[in-house]
Amino acid sequence: MKMTRRGLMSTMGAGLAASTLAGVPALAQARSIRHYWWGNPERDKRTFAVIDTFQKAKTDIKVSGETIGWGDYWTKMATQTAGRNMADLVQMDYRFLFEYVRRGALKPLDEYVGKSLMIADFDKGPIDGGRVDGKLYALNIGSNSQVIVHNTRVFKEAGIDTDLINWTWDDFAKSCETITSKTGGKVKGSDDLSLMIEVFESWVRQNGREFYDKDGKVAATVEDVASYWQFWADLRKKDVVRSKDKTVILDIPIVESGVAVGDTAMSHYWSNQLVGIQAAAKDKIGAAMVPHKKGGQPGQFIKPSMFMSLSRDAKDVDAAIAYMNAWVTDPAITKILGLERGIPASAKVREQLAPGLNEVEKVSVAYFNAIASKVGPLPLPAPKGAGEVRDAFMRIGTDVVLDRASAKDAAATFVGDAQAIVERAL
Amino acid sequence: MRRFLARNAPAYIFLSPWLLGFFLLALGPILASLYLSFTRYDMVSAPRWVGFDNYSYMFTRDRRFWKALEVTFTYVALAVPARLIMALGVAMLLDKGLRTIGLYRAIFYLPSLLGASIAIAILWRQLFEANGVVNQVLAYFGIQGISWITNPDTSLYTLVILAMWQFGSPMLIFLAGLRGIPRDLYEAAEIDGTPRWRQFTRITLPLLAPVIFFNLVLQTIESFKTFSSAFIISNGTGAPADSLLFYTVYLFNEAFKFFRMGYASALAWVLLIIIAVFTAIAFFTSKYWVHYENERD
Repeated sequence: MKMTRRGLMSTMGAGLAASTLAGVPALAQARSIRHYWWGNPERDKRTFAVIDTFQKAKTDIKVSGETIGWGDYWTKMATQTAGRNMADLVQMDYRFLFEYVRRGALKPLDEYVGKSLMIADFDKGPIDGGRVDGKLYALNIGSNSQVIVHNTRVFKEAGIDTDLINWTWDDFAKSCETITSKTGGKVKGSDDLSLMIEVFESWVRQNGREFYDKDGKVAATVEDVASYWQFWADLRKKDVVRSKDKTVILDIPIVESGVAVGDTAMSHYWSNQLVGIQAAAKDKIGAAMVPHKKGGQPGQFIKPSMFMSLSRDAKDVDAAIAYMNAWVTDPAITKILGLERGIPASAKVREQLAPGLNEVEKVSVAYFNAIASKVGPLPLPAPKGAGEVRDAFMRIGTDVVLDRASAKDAAATFVGDAQAIVERAL
Repeated sequence: MRRFLARNAPAYIFLSPWLLGFFLLALGPILASLYLSFTRYDMVSAPRWVGFDNYSYMFTRDRRFWKALEVTFTYVALAVPARLIMALGVAMLLDKGLRTIGLYRAIFYLPSLLGASIAIAILWRQLFEANGVVNQVLAYFGIQGISWITNPDTSLYTLVILAMWQFGSPMLIFLAGLRGIPRDLYEAAEIDGTPRWRQFTRITLPLLAPVIFFNLVLQTIESFKTFSSAFIISNGTGAPADSLLFYTVYLFNEAFKFFRMGYASALAWVLLIIIAVFTAIAFFTSKYWVHYENERD
């Protein structure tokens, strides 16, 4: 292993020497950085506005933005990683952070903290979420949590007055039935969340386990998976969730979600997406917690998300760090960002934002305050292969949604496959 | 040697752009992928030699590999005949010598030019969606359509129809072949009172055999390599429930989504061998059904 790494280094050295010999100054294209993120129309608008603002202040640095939907984001990123052509700054997700760090695709940020990256006074919890093996690889742009987005008008008309922070899965199922019957089936209770591994992870935690144990092995049981898929199968049978053919479309864009279109009264999202969904939905939306298990453990957690990471391929690191720093400290920029990427980790920024919040942002802050005492700890970092396990969950879950396999059989298949995927990725 | 050159030099001159491209651009990556297929390579750290591990895993433990083969073989078995029959049918219609034939030929060839493009795949998805055009037409006749694309039982057939629609390039080759059949054969048959259907089976098909053979081989290879339409329509994953898990889509996922470049290289070599075997079978059996007119010379 050591030999190969040295081999690689010398090849890279030779490459550098060759480029110098050829008279190509390595730093000639300095002062230009690329920023790559997954987005939605609202986020893209804000991010490009941030880029404009930054460039007006730092006229010597040119920032080019690249954006794409979540569905294709990781494929494009992997291709760029392989081609040694990653953007200087990439948006990173907690699920993929460890995978990228272990592959050596990211640079640690510790040496800049307190010098050019002024985050020393930020909340410790959210910042530490970006650490891998003690080193900071990802800067938290906003914290998030899962949220059951719901249509407040439909809820009111159906007369649902359940406590949406403390409710249980039974309450959820009953609400779905009430909504469907009160609207004469025009609006179904909820999107079918069978294929949402994020919700399932909360389900597992409610049962007192993590999805992955501390050795990175799959700890979720067949029983966990089967009961989850059966829960949704029962709702499908009662015809109180969204139709199957909308459910099996993977990573559906926000504008096509049940709540945005008006097909359903509830969809599952991340709290930072409230802004985006409100922009797409006709009615006023509200935020509910992922339902709890009666007598179970807390499942949901606060996720440090929307990280910004410095890639291995970054050339002008100083420019990149200056840009990164502006993202979390420059008042003009944090104001543009608002809460769209989540709740900022800086108390100063939160204070500055408070008076100017719009209605949906207020919902988001209130939601965050309400769940603070109801969430569990941050789960352990996902092992290599977690992205593939997510695909397997959606693939095998599709068979259950389409009645091609029983929840029990499919659950056994999934747990077996997930274990094999994680072992193979080691 | 000199005779060989004199006879073949023009051919090689015409081939030279392709040959140059092949040796400069393709050969290196091909050899590299052969090497990588014996390694474990995540594209970031250096490749590690693992011998035949990739190949043995593929054949003994990888369920999705077999699923991908099943999907691809089903597709090839349906799409190649469908496209060839369509192409021959249209070619025969266009062989009538209408005055506006040039325009028609261009119109019929258009789908094949567009067919490989992303836009058509997206169009196809919209046609066959739950509330797509196809179902709206069906609804007009009182038929409640299903979501063709998200139903694993029908999704593959939407792609077969797409393949059928892209009949342009084999059609042009058929048309050229049909033009090469001497008219007097048909005239003689006409005089003998041979029915049209027999003229087709006794004159057209046998004399067209070399062209059919050429198209068959080419289309088979092409169908095994189908990628972009399946990738777009299945959202890049082979969904729903792996019913669109074309071999190439699986290969792409292994390489660029799950960082298994070594394994993906092995998959690519297996595909190459499969295609080679099918081409060889076509060649070996061809002497029983393909007759070349100048063979007796």
